[in-house]
Amino acid sequence: MSYFQRIKSLLTGILFLLVALFLYLVPKEGYSIVTGILSISMLVYGFRLLWFYLTMSRHMVGGKSCLYQAIIVIDVALFTSTIAFMNSVIVVFYLTAAYAFTGLIDILRAVEAKKIGAPNWKWKFVYGITKIILTALLVIFGLFHGKIEYLVYGYCLNLSIAAVSKIIQAFRRTSIVYIQ
Amino acid sequence: MNSDFHYYATYCAAVLAGYSHQDSLVISAADVFTDSCSRTLLSKLKAPQSAATTQLKLELMDAHTDTSGLQDITRIWSSFHFLPYDLSAEPPQRTSKRYKAKYRLICQPNGKLLKQTVKLAKGKSLEAAGIAMHVLADTWAHRHFAGTPSLVINNPYNEFVELIPEGNGFSERMLTFRHSPSAPDDLERGIYTCSLYSNSEKSIMNLGHGRAGHLPDYCFIRYQYLPAWGNYKEYVKDNPSDYRYAFAQMIYAMKYLRGVHTDFELKKYDWKAVAGIEKDLHDILEKQQLDASDDWRALGERLSGKTIKPFDMEAVQQEYLSAEADKKDNTFLGSFILAALAQKSMVTNQIFASGNKLAGRSIEYVRRGIRLARTIKEGKK
Repeated sequence: MSYFQRIKSLLTGILFLLVALFLYLVPKEGYSIVTGILSISMLVYGFRLLWFYLTMSRHMVGGKSCLYQAIIVIDVALFTSTIAFMNSVIVVFYLTAAYAFTGLIDILRAVEAKKIGAPNWKWKFVYGITKIILTALLVIFGLFHGKIEYLVYGYCLNLSIAAVSKIIQAFRRTSIVYIQ
Repeated sequence: MNSDFHYYATYCAAVLAGYSHQDSLVISAADVFTDSCSRTLLSKLKAPQSAATTQLKLELMDAHTDTSGLQDITRIWSSFHFLPYDLSAEPPQRTSKRYKAKYRLICQPNGKLLKQTVKLAKGKSLEAAGIAMHVLADTWAHRHFAGTPSLVINNPYNEFVELIPEGNGFSERMLTFRHSPSAPDDLERGIYTCSLYSNSEKSIMNLGHGRAGHLPDYCFIRYQYLPAWGNYKEYVKDNPSDYRYAFAQMIYAMKYLRGVHTDFELKKYDWKAVAGIEKDLHDILEKQQLDASDDWRALGERLSGKTIKPFDMEAVQQEYLSAEADKKDNTFLGSFILAALAQKSMVTNQIFASGNKLAGRSIEYVRRGIRLARTIKEGKK
């Protein structure tokens, strides 16, 4: 991890913590704002991918995967923007499901990392599992008590875990394989 | 290429080109040292850090991938390990300027810059000859990759097929890649370590042949693959053949440096000199092993009749440290630094002159000299 990546990871962690705090303080309006921010950042990322495909990766063997990624990210971003001001239950469920999905991605990446012998697969695997279990528990708990705030608080908790993980990553020692 | 070729094979080629045992040792030492002369080492010795010819893993890990960071990486890797073949090459399809700039840094043997590299070493030190031989040999081993971080150029399709000699033909075997910093390559089972996939164009994981692991560095292997820039055309990398050409071209180039030939021409090889050791060469290049140093050393000792000592990095550093300030340029490391600066500035400025900004630009050391550069830096002129 370069200095720049470490600083980026640290800043992302702090941002996640601030968002979690904001959601905790104003649970009723907070999630609409978070959904809006999520949608815009995904849209920007999607268009950046699309630009990269058009100018660079369309000439690369297997470069179409960048185009597919761009389309999927833009599609999800647009979908997210449409639900930002819908029923609060749907928005929170959506955010929670999106978060659980990132847990699934972490597990898949851990499996891939294990297959190629990367040493950090255990960390990723535990992190992914934790995300999914926490999300599932919160959904069950929220539905059982019929209170949307529980889901929001759960989301805050998950965001805080992600924030701490990002901050830890920024200070962890890493090893890389570079072929000379 | 690994140190076995850069040190012992270069020694053999130097002896065959007519250099004495001592001179051959200096040339091969400079050749192999090109893979060790990092900023970290130079800073330890209080030597000019801009003379770095390689970057350590840790240096790469902390390398910035902003414009100046990328230029620094490109200057080092393009000048010494992935010499660009054609700085005005046109990709087969219409592309963006940004893509073209990266495409033009793809390394291949027998490019115009190789001629300039060898000619630059003419009449200079033995260390300069060693650096030129490193660059020359790497144009054969590292062909199809570029010395700049680039996903679209250096990330080949992940299906590599090894071609194993069998009877009059070849049998095929799929190769597997893994990312394990501690595990050595498993030649028997065809499992090799490579750098991690990163979809970032500028990631250092996509520098040089990292994504193909050490495959280009082993002399014995032949494989079929799809380079990222190759428009789905399958390429066969025949390392035994490429290494043989590299060896014969090194002899020819060193004969030019010694004054046997009046000019250095591209695509010329000294097959005559190789003829006497053809069988030994074939046996070494076809033998499946991680390190061929012992075989090359045995051949070298037979050719010169002298014992070849391994390269002593510690002695080189001590010689430089203990020399007086005005005598440092006369040491092995001092001469190496001057030659490295000349090579780096020549390649960087050629890339810049072609309209490509990926390597930035450099002071012309050949024309103005390192001393003037030092003076300018200190603000005396």
